[in-house]
Amino acid sequence: MPNILVCYKWVLDEQDIKVRPEDLGLDTSRAKGKISDFDRNAIEAASLLVEAQGGDVEALSFGTQALKLSVKDVLSRGPGRLTWIGDPAAETADAFVVAQVLAAAIRRAGPYDLILCGEGSSDMFFQQTPVRLAALLGLPCVTFVQKMTWADGVLTATRKLPDGTEEVRVAGPAVVSVLGEMNKPRIPSLKQVLGASKKPSRELPLASLGLAPGDLEPRAVRRTPKGFLMNRRNIVYKESDPAENVARLVASLKAEGL
Amino acid sequence: MAGIFVFSEDPALTRQLLTPGLELKRALAQPLVALTRSSAEAGALAGLGADRVVLLRGAGAPEALAPAVAALASAASVVLVGGTLRGKHLAAHVAATLGAGLSTDARTLRVAEGRLETTRILYGGLAVGEESLALPAVATVPPRTFPAPAPAGAAVPVETLDVAPDARVEVLSTQPAAGEGVDIGAATRLVAVGRGFNARADLDLAVDLAGALQAELACTRGIAEDEHWLPVERYIGISGQTVKPELYVAAGLSGQVQHMVGCREAKVIVAINKDERAPIFEAADFGIVGDLYTVLPLLTAALKD
Repeated sequence: MPNILVCYKWVLDEQDIKVRPEDLGLDTSRAKGKISDFDRNAIEAASLLVEAQGGDVEALSFGTQALKLSVKDVLSRGPGRLTWIGDPAAETADAFVVAQVLAAAIRRAGPYDLILCGEGSSDMFFQQTPVRLAALLGLPCVTFVQKMTWADGVLTATRKLPDGTEEVRVAGPAVVSVLGEMNKPRIPSLKQVLGASKKPSRELPLASLGLAPGDLEPRAVRRTPKGFLMNRRNIVYKESDPAENVARLVASLKAEGL
Repeated sequence: MAGIFVFSEDPALTRQLLTPGLELKRALAQPLVALTRSSAEAGALAGLGADRVVLLRGAGAPEALAPAVAALASAASVVLVGGTLRGKHLAAHVAATLGAGLSTDARTLRVAEGRLETTRILYGGLAVGEESLALPAVATVPPRTFPAPAPAGAAVPVETLDVAPDARVEVLSTQPAAGEGVDIGAATRLVAVGRGFNARADLDLAVDLAGALQAELACTRGIAEDEHWLPVERYIGISGQTVKPELYVAAGLSGQVQHMVGCREAKVIVAINKDERAPIFEAADFGIVGDLYTVLPLLTAALKD
């Protein structure tokens, strides 16, 4: 019966972010938070595994105090308890810092048989945290997993390759990153939502993790992002006669030399 | 030793990495070292401007060589890794070992004031961000971001190094993709399909159009991974293929940013969608508002004339 830790990130929903046309700045004022998409797959994978064969799932996250908003959501998706570190340092953290913080929290609260992460966060998509965690903790790592089973302390997983798949076996403890195609995350039932408020969650102060100042210094500094501007011609044919539209499009493509 | 190190398990991508590698070599006045697992490739790399070519010999999956690459590049200023799934794994391990920053899927790379500056895509393609990394720095570079450099000067000798891969992860079997091995990234014309198609059999309309255009068929993530109507190697998007064709015809797809990030460097984008407000029209050069079930056969017939 595995003892599983699942890591997640609370991100802004990119669907709510608008690009300001005047300066290409990002308007996030109406953006709501969400559990990063692929992390939901990781949470679902962990929850399905212990629902089928027993064990425990704990969730772990590092973010700003906005993380408080995620507590009920994450606990309604299956994990039995939550540890979270809310600190302004998360605002400018790169994957180096995130991995240092999560690894320190894991050393303190672990060990775990399996540490699951999504393949990347839907905001920054660094795709580094699981591998960095494994390196810092001295654990083996299997990335981009489509399927997995756990038996007698051994993980068997199917990982995606550019041109196929590969079945691998690794003895726990191990770190795994799961793909979005792995499962369909549940929509928590009313019972699960109500049950979530009874589950324990604790906030760990960043200062309690014993990290050196250098561990919290981002190696990659982000500048303010700019919205991507699609500079296209936007010539749209929308006459009621489809044949007319097609003829105009074909003429346009010919004019382009296509 | 200090230097700029490049590695990919994909030979074509290793060659492409030499192009930004040579720029960094000039900017930092440090040697350029190419690492490869392929003995056939090592010879080709030797004549493309690298100062050293090291052939890594050792069984195991490419990403399992990460500890060896990290050791070899322990004093590197910059490590560039091909942005494949395996490459990203290797790069993150190397960055963790070096205590370095890592820019994922860097589209541009330059040195300024002793730091590596990159641009990359954020929020699923909605925005472009700049990152400034202290050295040593690691970056992954997506396939086809740079062309391979031209042959330059005399070929350097190839060194061989036996490395021990991380053996904790045991590979039981490898299954090639069920797909046809088609390289969507190399196609000059693409017809892409999305959820506007009601049934798998209806994709024939797109197949016919692709035939008339001498194009390859591509799709959205939903068509490949939810419906399984086409193999995953044909899907375009942030977690799929990135393409730069001459012509990209998007039929029955709305143009979500996660899809468009994979095709927005196409020279000409054509959209066919019955919803005039679909975001794809914002991203298209030419568009037809209309039902694809009507428009595609007409377009195919018109192109055949």
